[in-house]
Amino acid sequence: MLNFIWAFMIFIGVVTGLLLGRTKEISDAVLASCVDSIELVITMMGAMCLWSGIMRVAEKAGLVNSLARLLKGVFRFLFPGIPKDHPANGAVAVSISADLLGLGSAATPLGIMAMKELSKANGNSPVASNAMVMFGVLNAVCIQLIPSTVLIIRQQAGSLNPSSILPNVWISSVASMMAGIIAAKLMERRDSL
Amino acid sequence: MIDFISRFSVPGIILFIVLIGYLRKVPVFDVFVEGAKEGARAAFDVLPVMVGILAAVSLLNASGFIDILANLIEKPLSLFGIPPEIVPILIIRPFSGSASLGLFTQQIKVFGADSYLGKVISTIMGSSETVLYTLPVYFGAANVKNTRHALAASLIASYFGMLVSVYICKVL
Repeated sequence: MLNFIWAFMIFIGVVTGLLLGRTKEISDAVLASCVDSIELVITMMGAMCLWSGIMRVAEKAGLVNSLARLLKGVFRFLFPGIPKDHPANGAVAVSISADLLGLGSAATPLGIMAMKELSKANGNSPVASNAMVMFGVLNAVCIQLIPSTVLIIRQQAGSLNPSSILPNVWISSVASMMAGIIAAKLMERRDSL
Repeated sequence: MIDFISRFSVPGIILFIVLIGYLRKVPVFDVFVEGAKEGARAAFDVLPVMVGILAAVSLLNASGFIDILANLIEKPLSLFGIPPEIVPILIIRPFSGSASLGLFTQQIKVFGADSYLGKVISTIMGSSETVLYTLPVYFGAANVKNTRHALAASLIASYFGMLVSVYICKVL
């Protein structure tokens, strides 16, 4: 699937660029993107070390288990098939909390680490488990309580009440999340292994 | 209050975990370093994935494909009450975070932040994610080749949320 999407994006991008005579733009863009990705990863690396280290402390202190026990009911439904005391439980819980709090760049490394833990629970198989798909979907929908960047831009654009959109944002987010959970649950039956 | 919570959450969580760990006689620093090593390795693993994803996304964005697509589907979408002005944001949002944010910053000044259109694009930006960046990076980092229904379900969720944004701003 990833292979197809990736090839498709490159194909469409290059062919459209050629046809529209934007060869210089696409060539600049693709080279600039390499610099961007290095920058992004270097920036993330520090945060990943920090969180990964802190999470290890939490695990050793027994905090991960307590958190996982607290969220057991929700987790049984959303992420079935993960053993009770597997570190994936804690990693997922912490990553989702970080998303909710709007930690932004700090949330991505946590999410990546949680996905790796889920993959370990799935025997590092190249085929995603139901739990991994559900976690991917939850991360691909926005579950942030306060979209601070959007609020700042609204303020700069001269809004009299930048946060007036918050109820709308919450309703849309919840609707989107519900649609994602339902869609994932329905489709997992169709192509379950 | 909410401001304080979101600003204090990171140091607060770190303090809480390290304090509890210390009180429970965990050799906190040794354990931290051991975990941090794994984080560094994980970041290294993500690097090639990131280069691949960003390269493809940047090609697509710079090619002008999004504009063509927007022109094509403007008319049919207006039948569902979706204003043509917001179509470019609708299309680009799942593909590129920086491109959609740029478009948003520029459009909100044109529409006016408190107008209907301004509210719609704010709601869309606040309630959706960059699906085609998040999924490949997460699954790529975990070395997953077959993501099954993850993309389909994510896009359904994303566009359903955007549709709700368009309608909810008419009411609220």
